[in-house]
Amino acid sequence: MGQGFLKAAAGHLRRSAVLAVAAAALVGGCATKDTGAEDVWDPLETPNRFIFSINRAVDTIALRPVAVLYRDTVPDPAQKGVHNAVTNLGEPITALNEAVQGKAHRAATTMARFLINSTIGVAGLFDVAKSMGLEPSKNDAGLTIGYYAGVEPENGGFYIMLPLLGPSNVRDAAGLVADGSLDPFGIAIYSIWGSTPYWIYAGSRVGATVVDTRVRTMYALDDLEKNSVDYYAALRSAYTQQRAEQIRQKRSPDAKAELERRDNLALVR
Amino acid sequence: MSQFASRRHVLRLAAGAAAIASTLSVPLAVHAADAPAATFIESVANRVIELIKSTTPGPAREAAFKKVLETDFDLNFMGRSALGTHWNGTTPEEQQRFLKAAASAEAHAYSERFGQYLGQTLSVGRVSPRPNGVSVVDSKLNQSNGQPISIQWEVRDEAGRPRITDVKVEGVSMVMTRRSDFNSYIQNHGGKVDALIAELESRAKQ
Repeated sequence: MGQGFLKAAAGHLRRSAVLAVAAAALVGGCATKDTGAEDVWDPLETPNRFIFSINRAVDTIALRPVAVLYRDTVPDPAQKGVHNAVTNLGEPITALNEAVQGKAHRAATTMARFLINSTIGVAGLFDVAKSMGLEPSKNDAGLTIGYYAGVEPENGGFYIMLPLLGPSNVRDAAGLVADGSLDPFGIAIYSIWGSTPYWIYAGSRVGATVVDTRVRTMYALDDLEKNSVDYYAALRSAYTQQRAEQIRQKRSPDAKAELERRDNLALVR
Repeated sequence: MSQFASRRHVLRLAAGAAAIASTLSVPLAVHAADAPAATFIESVANRVIELIKSTTPGPAREAAFKKVLETDFDLNFMGRSALGTHWNGTTPEEQQRFLKAAASAEAHAYSERFGQYLGQTLSVGRVSPRPNGVSVVDSKLNQSNGQPISIQWEVRDEAGRPRITDVKVEGVSMVMTRRSDFNSYIQNHGGKVDALIAELESRAKQ
């Protein structure tokens, strides 16, 4: 997804995984209290809000209308195909992250999905693997950093509102750079055919991903916007909570630790 | 593209908020677990579904939602949690006004959230009783198209009567999100809870 962008910007940032590691160390160093994402560490709030307002303007005049048009005019099977295809392109990186997190079996399943869907599934347009019982999963380098960071997953370093890409933090932005720079398709296209085909690939992948994601998030984001008094703060909290939840699931599928943590939160309330 | 557009996990976030919404548009729950908290969640879900089927968006539906919220949700507890540390700095009158405005805003939001019933069902899963008296009820909202959405309910027994104290959709807590939202609004309005109350009141009237 967003990684396509950064990847584009960083055609030869091949070794930026190092950055991610450095960021992980930084994340670990930035302590925030675990308040359930009430107080997200946001030292850049003023510039972040400025970027957020630009993002919203771009969304209002361009992206959202395009997404609505796409949602209402493109046939459902085609929309599903686009979603499957962009997901499929991300599977190798998903598998890599799962492997780094020591989830060998899950990584193998993801790679099997990729091989099956890329061939029988016609370049990923159909999720054949799922009907064979190979369930999809989500993973990225932000989660990998969070997995190993050893801090409360609400603490991802300071909050960053990325231009165009939206809510993030040090951890997840580093993850985007790492994922993007390791994308096998990007690397292959860039090194075999050079930069123009690469930009075409990256641009269309990001474009498809963005529209697909915007359609899928529309209901929830409209609701959050309409029913919050400070949309920026509500989104910041929701983003942080959701990423934290994903990291907790990667850390331990067993929810005991999470329940105990919530007991403590309830007491603090 | 927008700030929201491009990331996989934001998608989930969305699903989250959406679910807060759709949650209520839930279902004729089938897998009744044995715990009272589970039965309770199922009955709330069924009542909401009936409500959506029998009303159209408007004042009547809003009133019906308000009734469900008042009966089955611990609105005072939730409101107090949402106000966080600001609660103690406010007068009892302000607290009452806040609770009233927050409840109205919530009812208004819920009544606008649903058009018609789209066949979702809620399957209630594991119930984890906690030492502090809260039971966490896991559930999945099954949609006719798309992945099921995970919803966790916090249920607290108050004088022998179960009440919902929080709803977490895909990890996003309604109370926590409100708390962050309200807190930020108050801070940006000179630390005055009054400004928040006025804003909520004006929204409820819209």
